[in-house]
Amino acid sequence: MSDVVLKDEAIFRSAEMSLIQLYIPQEVSRDAVYGIGEIGLVQFRDLNTKVKAFQRTFVKEIRRLDNLQRQYRYFHSLLVKHNIKLYEEFEDEKTFSLPPSTSSIDDHVDSGTLLEDRMVQLVEASEQLEKQKADLEQNRFVLQAGDSFFGGVGKQDSEADMPPQSISFVTGVIPRSKVSSLEQILWRVLRGNLLFKRIEVPGLVYDAKLKEPVYKDAFIVFSHGALIMQRIRKIAESLDANLYDISESQDERSEQLSKVNTSLSDVNTVLDSTTKSLETELYALAKELDGWNKSVSREKALYETLNLFNYDSNRKTLIGEGWVPTDELEDLQEHLSTLTANLGVDVPSLIQVMETNRTPPTFHRTNKFTEGFQNICDCYGIATYREINPGLPTIVTFPFLFAVMFGDMGHGMLMTMAASLLVIYEKQIGRMKRDEIFDMAFSGRYIVLLMGLFSIYTGFLYNDMFSKSLTIFKSGWKWPEHWELGETIFAKQVGTYAFGLDHAWHGTENGLLFANSYKMKLSVLLGFIHMTYSYMFSLANDIYFKNWINIVGNFVPGLLFMQGIFGYLSICIVYKWTIDWVKDGRPAPGLLNTLINMFLSPGTVEEELYPHQAQLQVFLLIVALICVPCLLLIKPLHFKFTQGRHEHQPLAGSEEGVAQQDQENGLLEDEDDDENEGGHGEEFGDVVIHQVIHTIEFCLNCVSHTASYLRLWALSLAHAQLSSVLWTMTIQIAFGMTGFVGVVMTVVLFGMWFVLTCVILVVMEGTSAMLHSLRLHWVESMSKFFEGEGTPYEPFKFHCVGFEVPA
Amino acid sequence: MSFYTVVGAFVVVVLSSAIFWVLAPKKNQTVWRSTVILSLSMMFLMWAITYLSQLHPLVEPRRSDLRPEFAE
Repeated sequence: MSDVVLKDEAIFRSAEMSLIQLYIPQEVSRDAVYGIGEIGLVQFRDLNTKVKAFQRTFVKEIRRLDNLQRQYRYFHSLLVKHNIKLYEEFEDEKTFSLPPSTSSIDDHVDSGTLLEDRMVQLVEASEQLEKQKADLEQNRFVLQAGDSFFGGVGKQDSEADMPPQSISFVTGVIPRSKVSSLEQILWRVLRGNLLFKRIEVPGLVYDAKLKEPVYKDAFIVFSHGALIMQRIRKIAESLDANLYDISESQDERSEQLSKVNTSLSDVNTVLDSTTKSLETELYALAKELDGWNKSVSREKALYETLNLFNYDSNRKTLIGEGWVPTDELEDLQEHLSTLTANLGVDVPSLIQVMETNRTPPTFHRTNKFTEGFQNICDCYGIATYREINPGLPTIVTFPFLFAVMFGDMGHGMLMTMAASLLVIYEKQIGRMKRDEIFDMAFSGRYIVLLMGLFSIYTGFLYNDMFSKSLTIFKSGWKWPEHWELGETIFAKQVGTYAFGLDHAWHGTENGLLFANSYKMKLSVLLGFIHMTYSYMFSLANDIYFKNWINIVGNFVPGLLFMQGIFGYLSICIVYKWTIDWVKDGRPAPGLLNTLINMFLSPGTVEEELYPHQAQLQVFLLIVALICVPCLLLIKPLHFKFTQGRHEHQPLAGSEEGVAQQDQENGLLEDEDDDENEGGHGEEFGDVVIHQVIHTIEFCLNCVSHTASYLRLWALSLAHAQLSSVLWTMTIQIAFGMTGFVGVVMTVVLFGMWFVLTCVILVVMEGTSAMLHSLRLHWVESMSKFFEGEGTPYEPFKFHCVGFEVPA
Repeated sequence: MSFYTVVGAFVVVVLSSAIFWVLAPKKNQTVWRSTVILSLSMMFLMWAITYLSQLHPLVEPRRSDLRPEFAE
């Protein structure tokens, strides 16, 4: 536990990284890198970018392992073909282990080659036998069919009419798909001068050409003339027919048949034993293959990493460079020293932290809970190094904004239950093989869980449970004492409903009117607060990076602009709610008109919301208008004045600068040969254009993003209406019926209602609300502060890819 | 029952957030603090908006399908 506290959590900002240089003695390089791969802390930089892939030090080893993996894939395809299950071992929790010795890898290579030869031999033999067997079977069938072929002919014409010398025939077997084309071609070639008969071979027959079983037909063609017979043979063979000569006389045929039968049984015996020995080998292989494949793919990853190292043959050391989280440095050092101690080598491996101006990769430490939310943000862009991570607030805001659109206690409960199942059985399910869609749901199980829980809460506030209201608290409305049937009645306010929407509104004629006004204002207020909250992160970023000009030139004018218009609107909304307009006997001013008139006719207010409203609005308008040129000008002017002073210094990008940099590069050739991130050549023009774009975007986005939050209202309205329609159209019908029909209908309609609720309202509507919530985060929220110009931290770590199952 | 209910609830939420800030588990402290406090504040916000919108309503429920027996 103690080291957990010491380490930076690295979720609010990415972890601090250090560039290290590793000196590893050549003899232990393989073992040391193996150890590093097991703990997975270092992201190695490629020190040989100028060396082509096939010129690197360990190409030979990698090629050998590639070949071995190809052999393993071949074995796996054989296993799949013979329906033998691969025995997979699950990796246990990390235990410190030494890499397999090089000789064991050599053994793998040798045995791989041996096994492949053996397998290829066996497979070829069995294929050959299969072919023979099919051939014999076809022959046998043609012989059996001979009876019906000649019998049919014999019935039509008496044997005396048929001169045996001139009439000859061809018999054979042909794939069923080609039988009609054979018949047509023969008909045309011989001008109808033939007799064609065919019989379907029952069942599938192995085809040597396609190497798979197909349906076939046996056929016989009667015609005359040696030349024509030759032609028929050629045509039949060109259509993949197998021809078999059979005799006309029945005695000879039965003799042939018995011969064929004996050889067929011989072939069958041999084929059986061949298949059996192949399968025995495969069963033995199935137990080992996964383990072998894992160790070989590790070995390959290891050599690929070693290829990134600088190989110094004189000093007999390998030099590697890589990024490590700064707070993990000690762990790494400790790990390496125990490793070298275990190996019994005198020369220690050295780690040296380097000073650098390169931008380190972004590394957020996630756990199973935060991982899903982090992925949502990483999909949009990887945060810049040490920038505020939007993944942290997303944990709450994403499911909550979802729930505002999805608010229904019942649907929320269904969602919570499904997600809880995934969470409770996560260990078992984690081991299972999952298809793509289920895997998506599984990896987002904590997101779904929070979405469900918040939906229950918002459903409680909307007072919606499967579109019905709960009457938990005392209603704030009172209906009149008595009324006639069908009389229109109005409720009188006697209080305020304590928690959520008053159930008195349920089923009223103007309930939707009230709900719309409430939900619309709710979305504007929530949207404004969400955007302001996100905007504050940009302030925190600027303070952290000491980017003062950004605060003065971007943050403050932007904040004043946004608050002056939309902050004012939000305050007006809340203020209007707090005033009892009915008691005061004043007309309640429309806020929409107030806001429009604030721009169109500043200084005049038709219906006053509060005293001195006109003056304040004019003031706010002027402030907002002043903010626009401030946004536009402060940053470029600042750039002009500060950069103007250093104008004699060459900027990177100008010719002078390039020349000077080349000189510097000459000195630092071996250290700094790639990714020159030295100076950003930013011209004054670039800054101006950038700032103009930012200004226009920001001012327009203030309007459009606020409007965009109205989707919260629209989606929640649609959801509530859809669920109430579903209720009325299905289960409510059953409530009017009585007796046996009533029982049956209740059961049937309940089933229908429940299935449709799950499929349409929970899954489909849930997906749609999720996508809208995603958009609100990526566009409306993250555009306020997020730069997203980082590169992900991908440490060298062994992870084994299993065999892909061919589709 | 008035605007002060909302203010009172706000104070309660701020206090409980402050208490949680101190009491948050040491492991994954940032995640705990952010998640719990942000949840509390969003839940408060939504409740407060719902409550305020019903404080002085400008329209009253209207219906003509209630049976007379329903009268209390």
